[in-house]
Amino acid sequence: MNNKTYSDAIREALWEEMERDENVYLIGEDIGLGGGAFYITKGFHEKFGDLRVVDTPLSEAGFTGSAIGSSLAGLRPVVEFQFADFVTESFKMIVDFAAGNFFRKMGEVPIVFRLPAGALTSAGPFHSQNPEIWFFGTPGIKIVAPSNSYDAKGLMKSAIRDNNPVIFIEYKKFYNYPTSELPAPLRIEIPEEDYEVTIGKARILSEGKDISLITYGTTVLQALKAAEQISEEGASVEVIDLRTIIPFDKETIIDSVKKTGKILFLHEARKQGGISGELSSLISEEAFEYLDAPPIRIGAINTPVPLSPPLEKAYLPNTQEILIALRDLLEY
Amino acid sequence: MDHQKIQKNKHRALPSDFSDLNFFKDLENHFLEVKDLEMSWIEFETPNLISNKEKALRLHFLITLTRTIEEELDSAFRAGHIPGTAFFGRGNEGASVGSAFCLKDDEWLVPMHRNCGSHIAKGHPPESIMAHFFGRKDGPSEGRDGNFHMGYRPKNITQLISHIGTMVPIATGLAWAEKYRKTNRAVLTHIGEGGTSSGDFHEGINFASVQKLPLVIIIDNNQYAYKTLLEKQYACKSLVLKSTGYGIPGYLVDGTNILLVNYICELALEMARKGEGPILIESITMRASGHSVYDKFSDYVDIEDMNLWLEKRDPIKRYDQFLINSGIVTQKEIEDSHLKANERASLAKDIALKSPFPKAEGMENEIFAD
Repeated sequence: MNNKTYSDAIREALWEEMERDENVYLIGEDIGLGGGAFYITKGFHEKFGDLRVVDTPLSEAGFTGSAIGSSLAGLRPVVEFQFADFVTESFKMIVDFAAGNFFRKMGEVPIVFRLPAGALTSAGPFHSQNPEIWFFGTPGIKIVAPSNSYDAKGLMKSAIRDNNPVIFIEYKKFYNYPTSELPAPLRIEIPEEDYEVTIGKARILSEGKDISLITYGTTVLQALKAAEQISEEGASVEVIDLRTIIPFDKETIIDSVKKTGKILFLHEARKQGGISGELSSLISEEAFEYLDAPPIRIGAINTPVPLSPPLEKAYLPNTQEILIALRDLLEY
Repeated sequence: MDHQKIQKNKHRALPSDFSDLNFFKDLENHFLEVKDLEMSWIEFETPNLISNKEKALRLHFLITLTRTIEEELDSAFRAGHIPGTAFFGRGNEGASVGSAFCLKDDEWLVPMHRNCGSHIAKGHPPESIMAHFFGRKDGPSEGRDGNFHMGYRPKNITQLISHIGTMVPIATGLAWAEKYRKTNRAVLTHIGEGGTSSGDFHEGINFASVQKLPLVIIIDNNQYAYKTLLEKQYACKSLVLKSTGYGIPGYLVDGTNILLVNYICELALEMARKGEGPILIESITMRASGHSVYDKFSDYVDIEDMNLWLEKRDPIKRYDQFLINSGIVTQKEIEDSHLKANERASLAKDIALKSPFPKAEGMENEIFAD
């Protein structure tokens, strides 16, 4: 096993796409000489130069707008945000300009926004957030959220080759995880040859017949752990990693519910306003008769992300509450 | 000494203070150049700016067409043909036409919502503009947006969104693409004086300046940002002075003089194409209409004073006069040009009104490109 990390995967995808297509370039703060806040683009500037690895002034709205402008002319920028939280600076550029542009018949906007997201031990309210809930209601934008190295590389390639704005959520917590240390279903070796992971396709990480556990991002690890524990107790949980949040894989979700009749949604993002609310409604509308229990949703509590360790722990979903929910569903 | 001159001359054409046109007396035969921390008033004679008869008449047709199209649109609104609202650039026709006329066919124009003339000068067909206003299938957005929120891709005109300021970074990005591809093409964008207060204006120009991008930014200073007067918008003597803060050249011009705007923009675009970086132009005009068709602007504008101002500064009347005084065109040729523009606008309206409304079926499947 070549044992590449999640960062390696993103780095390789960027590098290979830049070599493949001269319209692909990187833009963001500190990404050139500095190699980026998380060193994802270390070494890129030496290889690709000033025009293709662009260090910008401190101006998220400005560089996001510029990147979008350049995509109208056919370039394919990959925009790096130091932290996903800072994307609020660029909200109008993404939501109002980029997202609706194709619908308004004003041309394609091929662009990727890299958003390092999620909690990382005491990073506090402005370096820990999960941005997908801000964008979920916006038509015309795709959102992917890989949970492992293989998907990170494949989804990044697909995102760059996609002719639409794609928000690429990458998890800081995963950056340095070597593939060999991931749970078995995520331990997929990155192949030497070029590959894509199709946007819009979920992955069933473990087949099961009693409960569908639908998740994405950092909570995939907790989901697998909980599922393993439950299987030791004699039941089987089907763990589904959405991988893409928009457009989500409705077919896989509905098929799984039809099989299990019970469903637990889990995400690190807040429960209130979270993706699980929409998916839960979808199931009520389209697969109600297959349900044997009311769907349960687990997400972060409804506060800003607190910093101090005991507060942050209380904020985030934990394995114990996942186990309780799974057992409740089994007993229902 | 030049600095004193700026301070001395009142710039704020406030409604209560319209009779004081000293500032414009300076702009009558001068424009201001701000470069490398130096300011110089440069004298010019308008008739000398007319290079040839053919171009002079072409500009005349375009500026007149712009006004007649907007007048047709205004009456179409009153007749109920325009869903939503409408914004017009009455008073700004000279600056819009004079600037966009300088662009090459494959150069990008990033207009604002009062730059009908820019669309016309860049080659956006009038019937397409009108069909867009009417929410019809043959408008460039096929009814998905309206009024001046439109681009026209065949002529490299971008759309704009309502968020004022946003388009400066977009224009910067288009200029970045020209630098990236080493094309020697430049990009032209407009913003109002109100937009200069937005953060995006700063972020866009700053990045363009740092990267020496081929971008010309025109501030259409038309005295009002919706209902906000200049004194509530900015505290500097003139917006052109902001150029020094970015380390780029700036020009302050009378935007009601189409020939002057045309001359300065040609100069600026040539500098930009040569890689000398962005140029900021402040063009002084007067918004001779409400913010939108719904705006009762007599609430905050002294209409009598405004009309007094327009008597001297209406860009179309002025251009008629320049041309006749220069002797290269006849009164008859001017009249014919007006007639031709009226006919063209009226034809465009007829064509646009015959365009069908778009169908809603399948709309949900068109949010993503393949």
